[in-house]
Amino acid sequence: MAFLEINNLHKSFGRHEVLKGISFSLEKGEVLSIIGSSGGGKTTLLRCLNFLEIPSQGTISVNGNTIFDAQNPLSENEIRKNRLHFGLVFQQFNLFPQYTVEGNISLAPKLLKKYSEEELKRKTDSLITRVGLTDKRDFYPHQLSGGQQQRVAIARTLAMEPDILCFDEPTSALDPELTGEVLSVIKSLKSKDNTMVIVTHEMDFAREVSDKIIFIDDGLIAEEGTPEEVFYNPKNERTKRFLSLSNL
Amino acid sequence: MIQDVLLELSTGFLKTIEIFFFTLLGALPLGLLISFGSMSKIKPIKAVVSCFVWIIRGTPLMLQLIVIYFGPGLLFGNNIWGNKMEGRFLAVLVAFIINYSCYFSEIYRGGIESIPIGQYEAGEVLGLSKSQIFFKIVLLQVVKRIVPPMGNEIITLIKDTSLARVIAVVEIIYAGERFIKSSGIIWPLFLTGVFYLVFCGIVTILLKRFEKRLSYFR
Repeated sequence: MAFLEINNLHKSFGRHEVLKGISFSLEKGEVLSIIGSSGGGKTTLLRCLNFLEIPSQGTISVNGNTIFDAQNPLSENEIRKNRLHFGLVFQQFNLFPQYTVEGNISLAPKLLKKYSEEELKRKTDSLITRVGLTDKRDFYPHQLSGGQQQRVAIARTLAMEPDILCFDEPTSALDPELTGEVLSVIKSLKSKDNTMVIVTHEMDFAREVSDKIIFIDDGLIAEEGTPEEVFYNPKNERTKRFLSLSNL
Repeated sequence: MIQDVLLELSTGFLKTIEIFFFTLLGALPLGLLISFGSMSKIKPIKAVVSCFVWIIRGTPLMLQLIVIYFGPGLLFGNNIWGNKMEGRFLAVLVAFIINYSCYFSEIYRGGIESIPIGQYEAGEVLGLSKSQIFFKIVLLQVVKRIVPPMGNEIITLIKDTSLARVIAVVEIIYAGERFIKSSGIIWPLFLTGVFYLVFCGIVTILLKRFEKRLSYFR
């Protein structure tokens, strides 16, 4: 069984079905990029993994444990516990404005008593260094550029040590000259321990960093494969059209 | 003479400050509770609370004072407030706290609803509980946003305390007015204005200071 297994995931809002049966699997340390046109269900899929939306059907399992099965609804506490398998970096950063860089990163682990005080300090320090913000640790979000804010958001997510790290169009809200610094931080996270799911419109980045690409169209996986397969030899007509329009 | 006047006015002003202070003490937390009610996902609670807020905000505080003080006696033949000064003072506080908590609740509601949903979601995906998200993330941002409108209401409250006289609670206006009958002089009544001005001035400075202390984030 793969590290992450998504099976037949559906999500409807009222009568509108956004996800129509998504299944895929991912091994530990793999990077998956999800591409596709807007409104196709990419973001909804990420939100389902993080339980910001509750899937209407399907199962999610991590490391062999089923953490979600639509047939057995979870209690609020179980959701809180199970969602810690996933971390989510938002398109709009969503940093907490009244906390410094350090405060943003350490807030959740502190409140949830994840580490001892000393460990937390060390962890926070190393995360700040890792995203290259050593000189900004006491800055408030409004004092940072968009790229710096997104790097803080990444560090904040890493602080909870999720099994799977999700990115929802992490550079879409950034000026073009700031996307590079965020993408290179994400690239630097690629390792045998970090499993990542990235929703992105940055095709070059997706091709470079991913082990696997999924093209989602109208709530279904239209194409799936290695970057080479999907980008250079797409089989599906919709994929071909999408890629030709994204001027690769 | 002037000493008599100052003594009387000061005693009255003490009452004014008491009404002001205890109203804030009661209405600030009660207003938050009412705002939760008016935002409740449970429809009947939302409807009842919203209707209550509509009634309180839609009728004069003076009328509410009279109804709260005389209502129980006239309707049920049971004057719960007694005939002493303390009873009347208590009735004033009840009326003021109810009235102001409704106004405050609308300010809280506006503040809470103005916080972007992303703040809640960021807290949720980090595994925080609803109350942790509210108290550790949302609340301070709400406070920052509501200080200016809240300041407005608080300044209004200072002057509204003069309504207490309609049920014969001797606050400063009442104290000043009594000199017209007893000594035939009106200047003590005019002098009360100075007390209000100074008090409002101090409160304004404190509010500005508070606003400034929250200016470190946006």
